[in-house]
Amino acid sequence: MSVYSPRLARLIDALRRLPGVGPKSAQRMAFQLLDRERGAARTLAQALTDALEHIGRCPSCRMFCEGGDCRYCTPARTASGHLCVVEGPADLMAIEAGTPYRGRYFVLMGRLSPLDGIGPDELGLDQLQAQLATGDVRELIIATNPTVEGEATAHCLAEIARAQNVAVSRIAHGVPVGGELEYVDGGTLAHALSGRRQV
Amino acid sequence: MTRARIQLTPGHVLRTQPYRDTSLLVEAWTYHHGRVGLIARGSRAPRSRTRALLQPFQPLLLSWNEQGDLGALTGVEADGHAAALPGEAIFSGWYLNELLIRLLPRHDPHPDLYADYVVALAQLPSALEAALRIFEKNLLTELGYGLQLDDDLDPATPYRYDTELGPVVADSGDGDAYAGSSLIALRDEQLDDETALRDARRLLRAPLRSLLGDKPLETARLLRQIRKSRPTA
Repeated sequence: MSVYSPRLARLIDALRRLPGVGPKSAQRMAFQLLDRERGAARTLAQALTDALEHIGRCPSCRMFCEGGDCRYCTPARTASGHLCVVEGPADLMAIEAGTPYRGRYFVLMGRLSPLDGIGPDELGLDQLQAQLATGDVRELIIATNPTVEGEATAHCLAEIARAQNVAVSRIAHGVPVGGELEYVDGGTLAHALSGRRQV
Repeated sequence: MTRARIQLTPGHVLRTQPYRDTSLLVEAWTYHHGRVGLIARGSRAPRSRTRALLQPFQPLLLSWNEQGDLGALTGVEADGHAAALPGEAIFSGWYLNELLIRLLPRHDPHPDLYADYVVALAQLPSALEAALRIFEKNLLTELGYGLQLDDDLDPATPYRYDTELGPVVADSGDGDAYAGSSLIALRDEQLDDETALRDARRLLRAPLRSLLGDKPLETARLLRQIRKSRPTA
């Protein structure tokens, strides 16, 4: 028997689906919405329904998009000739917000991970291959994470691009800006050293 | 129940999975304790210092507190450089990891096999197939299903392999026979030529299959998928 009334229990249960929300925080959120923020709660409910109804996946970059036109697949971006492959939507946002890059993207929604059963089909690599085959892309920029899975994914992407005669590059990894060599782990430092460039 | 504190024991990460919001469930393979499941609290948090280290193929020194089946990771340090696996060699490394996860129970120490694993990782970049076959052979031996490759094999004689009797001299017309030299090469871990590698692969496949049962290995399936989809330029 739940300590909450049925509707309250359902609300708390639904809130617990959010990342980082346990039973205690969910209860706090529910009480806050019901007690002091009833207007905001209504807006939230409306926004959720709206978002679910209108936000889908862009068929070409696989990023979330509204309606038919994706803001990351504009003709201007296509004209740049760059296609940047990232693991997830958050990675895309990070590049978009933090860098001047304004080319196109391809969101894998994961990384190769055989032990979890994630292969090329799950990542839509055949879709990417078809896009490279159209000839619009001059350079494929691989921005997967510097993990073992990310490296394996990068290797596969590079093979696909080479087969289509598209130039491939991998983002650099190394010492963070403002970092101190003393505290950087050995693996990162080794990468930074092997990827050094002339000045 | 005794709660042991394990300090800086050599080990490798076999796989990691997200656990709760910022933690990681680490399947580790250690010298003294065999395969163990460890919870790395806060490892996925933004400024975590352990996450970069908790990667497969990186030699580590692991410390944890035993708590029932899963341990709580308390410390991790690098113990040398990670094996630099280029391209498809990563898949072979994953294959070794998957074999260990599938075939060994947790908390079952195999120090010799751990040493074999380290050797195999080191050899993957230069002699991939040979490294895999030798590790498979040693894995079978550790599990008690070792091949019987005796000292009196004759390199010029063809043999067939009987699961009960071991190598038996084959009839002259037996197309499936293994060359004696191949069996010797596998026994002595000197797989240098194509025939020996092919025979070793064929010889090891049957016992591995019977141990793995109906569920095929994911790494093998994935690699086939990638090779198939690879455009033949």
